[in-house]
Amino acid sequence: MAVTLPEGDLNSRLERYLDGFRNRHGLDDSGVEGNVVRLVVTPGVLPAVLATARERLGILHLAFITVVDREGSFELTYELLDFRGVRVRVKTTIEGEEPVIDSVTKIYPTANWHEREAYDMFGVAFKGHPDLRRTYMWQDHFDHHPLLKSFDISTKRTFENLR
Amino acid sequence: MFLVLNLAAVFTIAERKVAGYIQLRYGPNRVGPRGLLQPAADVFKLFSKENVSPTRSDIWIFLAAPIAMFIPAALVWMVVPFAPNAVVADLNIALLFFISMTSIGALGVIMAGYGSRSTFSLLGALRGAAQMISYEVPLILSLLGVIMLSGSLSLVSIVDAQGGGFWHWNLWLQLPMFIVFYIAGLAEVKRVPFDLPEGESEIVGGFMVEYSGMTWALIQASEFASMGLMAAMNVTLFLGGWQPPIDALDFGNFNWIWFGLKTALITFTFQWIRWSVPRLRMDQLMDLGWKILVPVCLVWLFVTAGAMLVLQGF
Amino acid sequence: MLSEERRVESAALSGRASGRLTNPDVRDEFGLETLDMNMGPQHPAMHGLLRLILELDGETVVRCDPVMGYLHRCQEKIAENRMYPAVVPLTDRLDYFANMHMEHGYCLAVEDMLDAEIPPRADAIRVLMSELMRLASHIPSIGFLMLELGAFTPILYSFRERERIQTIFEAVTGARMMFHYIRIGGVKADLPEDIPQRIWEYIEGLESRFQEDFVNLISGNEIFIARTRGVGKMTQEQAVEMGVTGPALRCTGVDFDIRRDYPYSWYPNVEFDVITDTEGDVAASYRVRIAECLQSIRIIKQVLENLPEGEVMADLGRRIRPAEGEGFGRVESPRGEYAVHVVSDGSDTPYRVHYRDPSFCNMQLLQEIVPGHYLPDIMPIMGLVDPVSGGWDK
Repeated sequence: MAVTLPEGDLNSRLERYLDGFRNRHGLDDSGVEGNVVRLVVTPGVLPAVLATARERLGILHLAFITVVDREGSFELTYELLDFRGVRVRVKTTIEGEEPVIDSVTKIYPTANWHEREAYDMFGVAFKGHPDLRRTYMWQDHFDHHPLLKSFDISTKRTFENLR
Repeated sequence: MFLVLNLAAVFTIAERKVAGYIQLRYGPNRVGPRGLLQPAADVFKLFSKENVSPTRSDIWIFLAAPIAMFIPAALVWMVVPFAPNAVVADLNIALLFFISMTSIGALGVIMAGYGSRSTFSLLGALRGAAQMISYEVPLILSLLGVIMLSGSLSLVSIVDAQGGGFWHWNLWLQLPMFIVFYIAGLAEVKRVPFDLPEGESEIVGGFMVEYSGMTWALIQASEFASMGLMAAMNVTLFLGGWQPPIDALDFGNFNWIWFGLKTALITFTFQWIRWSVPRLRMDQLMDLGWKILVPVCLVWLFVTAGAMLVLQGF
Repeated sequence: MLSEERRVESAALSGRASGRLTNPDVRDEFGLETLDMNMGPQHPAMHGLLRLILELDGETVVRCDPVMGYLHRCQEKIAENRMYPAVVPLTDRLDYFANMHMEHGYCLAVEDMLDAEIPPRADAIRVLMSELMRLASHIPSIGFLMLELGAFTPILYSFRERERIQTIFEAVTGARMMFHYIRIGGVKADLPEDIPQRIWEYIEGLESRFQEDFVNLISGNEIFIARTRGVGKMTQEQAVEMGVTGPALRCTGVDFDIRRDYPYSWYPNVEFDVITDTEGDVAASYRVRIAECLQSIRIIKQVLENLPEGEVMADLGRRIRPAEGEGFGRVESPRGEYAVHVVSDGSDTPYRVHYRDPSFCNMQLLQEIVPGHYLPDIMPIMGLVDPVSGGWDK
C-alpha cells in the first residue's frame, strides 16, 4: 500500500495548510514564517488539530515532541513534516506543576516513544497512552524527572531511595 | 590421544592464520616464529583459568558433557588408515563405528546445553540436537555409494580399492555423494555456515556459553578434532586416503605424507568457507538437509546401483 | 502496544508461531507458555547496550520490547549548563558513528537563532565532511549486518575503508573520531593544502574497490540472500506511521531525503539522486545503503571540483548570546532525520536543547516488526534499522 506524498508548489501548500487549520479550530495564534506554519493552541484542542493535520491535510510525519520547563508551566512543541518542504509547528502551554495532556498516539503512532521520553524526563502525563513507562531512567524506585529545572545537577547527590 | 590433542592445537593456529590472511591481516605472529607457538600460549592460559559453572547447573552433566564430546572424536581416529600398514585398529566395520561415534557426539551437545540450565544454552542445545540428528541422514546415505563400490565397511579396504592413481579415486564416480558428505560433515561439526548452535551473534555461545577454562578448551579441542576427523574421512572415503595421485610418486610406507597433504587441503577448504560465508538460519538449514541433500543422495544411490548392475552384467 | 492475545495471534498469522500456542484449549491443557528471554545489555553483537525482552514460542518471537537507558549520559541536561560553543563536543558523542552530522545539526539550530550567514567555503567543507562521514558510517553498517549474519570477513574490509577515511579526518580535524570541527559559524580551520588531492585519490580508489572487494563478496551470496530477503518486511504505511526515516524508510519506497526536501548548507548546489527501493526488507536496505555510498562519492567529487574560496568561519563576535527565542536545525544523518531544537533565554547557556535522534525513533520498528520472525532474524532487522547506542540513549 503506497503512501501518497503531497504535491504542488510550496507556498500554495503553506496557504492551504494554514487555512485548513484556521477554518476548523480556534487557534490562539497562527502564521507562516519561511516554510513553517506556526500554530499556538490550547492543550484541549491539540489532539483535534493534529488529527486534522494527519487526516485532512495529509501531513504524515511527526518529527519530535519537545517539552520545555518554564518553571510554572510546560511548553510543548510538536513539529510535523509533510515530507516535501513544509514544517508545521504546533505549540501549546500547560499550566501548573502537574502537566496532563491527551496522548496523540492514536493519530501519530510514532508519538509513542516521544511521549514516553517526555514523561520520563519531565513527568508529563499523557492520557490514553497505551504503554506509558520510562525510557532511560530506572523503572522503579526513581521518582525524579531529570530534566525539570528543579532537579539540579549536583555531584554530592545521593539517591537514598534507590536500590 | 596424543595425536588428537596435538592435532587440535595445530588446527587452532592454522585456523587463526587462515582467518587472518583472508581478512587482510596477519594472524597471530608474536609467539614463536611467525606465531607458530600460539597454541602453547593458549593452552597455558586455558589451564590457568578458573572453571566457572553456574550455580543452578546440574554439575555432573555439566562436567561430563565436554568429555562426552571429546571421546568419540578421538576414538574414531583409531580406525583411520594413515599409510598402507599404519592403522591403529583395523576394524572390518570401521564405517559403522564412525557413524555411531558421531551420534554420541550429538548427545554430548545436548548434555552441554541442558546441564548449563540457562536459556541461551538450552536454545543452543536444541538447535544442535536438531541439526546434528537431521544431518546424520545425508551423511550416512552418502556413504552407501562408497560401500557398494568397495564392497566392504572397512576403511582399509576402501582405501585399497582406490589404488591406481588419480582417476581411480571414489571422487569421480561418486561426485554428488562427495559433495553431500562434505556439506553434511560441515553440519555435523557445527561449522559455518551451520554454526547456529553456537551462533556467536545471537546466542553468544549457544550450548557452550557457560563453560570456561579447561572445560571450554576441551569442547573446542573436540570441535577441532572432529573437524580434522571429517576432513580425514573425506579424504579416506573419496580422495583415496594415502594413495598417491600418480603411481610413480608412491612412497610405500611413507604415504602418510599424501594422507597428510590431502587432509590439510580439505581442512583448509573448511576454514576458507568458514571465514567467507554467513550462517544459515535454522529452518533454512533443515530445508537444505531434508529437502535437498537427502533426495540427491537417494537418486545417486539408485544411479550407482543401476550402473553397477548394468556394468557387471557385461 | 498489542495485547497478549493479539500478539500471539499476529505471530500465528504470519505462519510462524505454532498452532498449539494460539489454540487456547491446547494451551491451557498442556500448560504451554512462551519463553521469556533477555537478549541482554551484554551481548557481543548488539549494536550497543540494548536490552531486548523477548517472548519466544520455540524459535519464533512473540513479543519484543527494547529497554534502553544503559548509555544515558543526560546530554540534554548537561547542555543546559554549558555555553553554546561548548555544547558542540557533546553532540559529537551522540551518534558516534556520524559525528559530523550531529555537530552540523546543532550548529544549524544555533545559527538559525542567530540568523547567521555562513561563508560558502565553510558550507562546502561541511558538506564534504558530512558525505565522507556518511561513507564512513554506511560501509561499517553493512559490515555489522554481515557480522551478525555470521560472516566475519566483510566487517574487516569495511573497517579498512573506515580507517582510511579516519586518517583523512585526522589530517583535517586533528582527531580520528570526536572531531569538534564543525563549529557555530563555520568550521574550525581550513583544509590543509594537500587534502583535496588526497580525498580525490582516495575516492577514485574507493569507487573501483567498492564494487569488487565489497559488493561482489556479499550481494551474490545465496546464504546472504536467503537470510535477508523477506526479513523485516515493512509496508510504506507502517514505516511512515512509526516515524521511521532515513535508509530504513527509503527502502520501502517513500522518497524522503532531507538533503533534497528541506535543503540546508551546500546541498542546493550539488546534484544527487535519492535512492529508494520497493521491497522494504533487509536486503532492500542493504541495496539502498550501497547505492547511497555511490551517491556520496558523487557528491564529494562535485564539492571538490567546485570548492569556493574564502574564509571558513563567520564573525559572530566573541560571545554567542542569542536573543530569546528558539532555533531548529535538521540534518540527514546516515540513520535518518536528525533534528535539534534549541531554546534560549538570552543568556550564555541554552535554556533547553532537545535532540531528535533517528536511532531512537527508528527503534520503534523493533516493537512492531520483530514479532512473527524467528530469533535469528532479530539481528538482520537491527541491521535494517542500524541504530547506534549513543543515538538512542543520548
